[in-house]
Amino acid sequence: MKIPNDAIFSISEYIELLNLTLGKFTAKIVGEVSETNPGPTGHVYFTLKDEKDGSVIDCFIWKYNYNLYGIKLEVGMKIIASGHPNVHKSYGFKFIADVIEITGEGELKKQYEVLRKKLAEEGIFAKERKREIPKYLRKVGLITAKQGAVLADFLSNLGKYGFKIKLIDSRVEGQGAVEDLISAIRTFKKQDIEALVIMRGGGSLESMMAFNNELLVREVVSFKVPVIAAIGHHKDEPLVALAADLAVSTPSIAATTLTEPWRQVDLLVETALSVSLQKLDNIIQNSKMNLENSWKDLIFGFNSLLSKISRQLENSAKIIFLNNPERQLKLGYSIARCRGKIVRKLKDTAIGENIDLKVSDGTIITETINLKP
Amino acid sequence: MPKEKSTKNLSSNLKRLSEITDWFENQEEVDVEEGLEKVKEAASLIKASKERLKAVENEFEEIKKETDIKENKEE
Repeated sequence: MKIPNDAIFSISEYIELLNLTLGKFTAKIVGEVSETNPGPTGHVYFTLKDEKDGSVIDCFIWKYNYNLYGIKLEVGMKIIASGHPNVHKSYGFKFIADVIEITGEGELKKQYEVLRKKLAEEGIFAKERKREIPKYLRKVGLITAKQGAVLADFLSNLGKYGFKIKLIDSRVEGQGAVEDLISAIRTFKKQDIEALVIMRGGGSLESMMAFNNELLVREVVSFKVPVIAAIGHHKDEPLVALAADLAVSTPSIAATTLTEPWRQVDLLVETALSVSLQKLDNIIQNSKMNLENSWKDLIFGFNSLLSKISRQLENSAKIIFLNNPERQLKLGYSIARCRGKIVRKLKDTAIGENIDLKVSDGTIITETINLKP
Repeated sequence: MPKEKSTKNLSSNLKRLSEITDWFENQEEVDVEEGLEKVKEAASLIKASKERLKAVENEFEEIKKETDIKENKEE
């Protein structure tokens, strides 16, 4: 912006002009807290000092943001402040910090441990407090960064169980992510979901600080449905993961936690189907065997019947053959009849009576002339 | 049905044959004429029965063969 040389501004106008330009100088600055002055309104004034040459800059943070990041500023603390410069009409130049974060592994670790101890004493991490993840879920809320392998890994492990996933894209890196995460979780409070999954990949304690935020932990604990945290980490488990109802190490495990009950159902159905088919097959095989056996019995029975008939015919033929009177006559026997009756004994005839002798080719008529006992 | 009738014939033939053989076995006075008649009847019954039996056997073999073929096709 080019300002005409002869232009004269009022103070207010000039300050406005300055702020228009200064607003563009957003930056992250690192320094040691040399003074801190919490105002009565809750907004905090503090001074950051350059470690090397002692340069100082006055800073200001709004109450909301100060509380959001849960860092109690103390003299000597090394922090990174993200924000922009601004000139206030009454208080002059200030660096307006939107985000403050502790830097230095040692300090971070200290802050982490303090908060962890405090929350643990409140029973926030207690096992008894944790809710069971319901089985057979379908409606799941998901908070993670839309870009990145984490989401892809999660989605690719969900399978085809018909999940309805609602995603709220959120920053997950650095302290600034806290704002996104809390906003996302509050949005999900009003939505119809059965579980909430919060995910990010692994990282250093510093990059993970958003997940060690007290407000976020409390949002997770008071969330209306169970929360699953899949937050990678090296050694210090993020407090959000400790507070979540279930903490898993990878997005794929988070996904399989949701799919497992469904998979079991599938398996059960498959097994039942296979058992039923086996049973059906057995029934068919048995029926087939029964049928074959019946058939064999039938053949055997019928063959026996045929043999029996055949034997009966043979026997009958033999009896008939043996009893055939013609055969007797041919053998030389003859049949004697007197008065039409067969002569078996002497009394069956008398002297003078005729006896007809039947022989094989005719009849001989004789007369009784004598009877010898 | 003719088949049923023939089967019935076979069984009535057998019954009649059995009556005749019984008659021969129990007859004390053999009436040659009647005996001859019965022999003739029995002989024809035996012949007819054997033929019928053979036919039944053949028919049975046919059925068996058909059933075997069906089973083989299934397997």
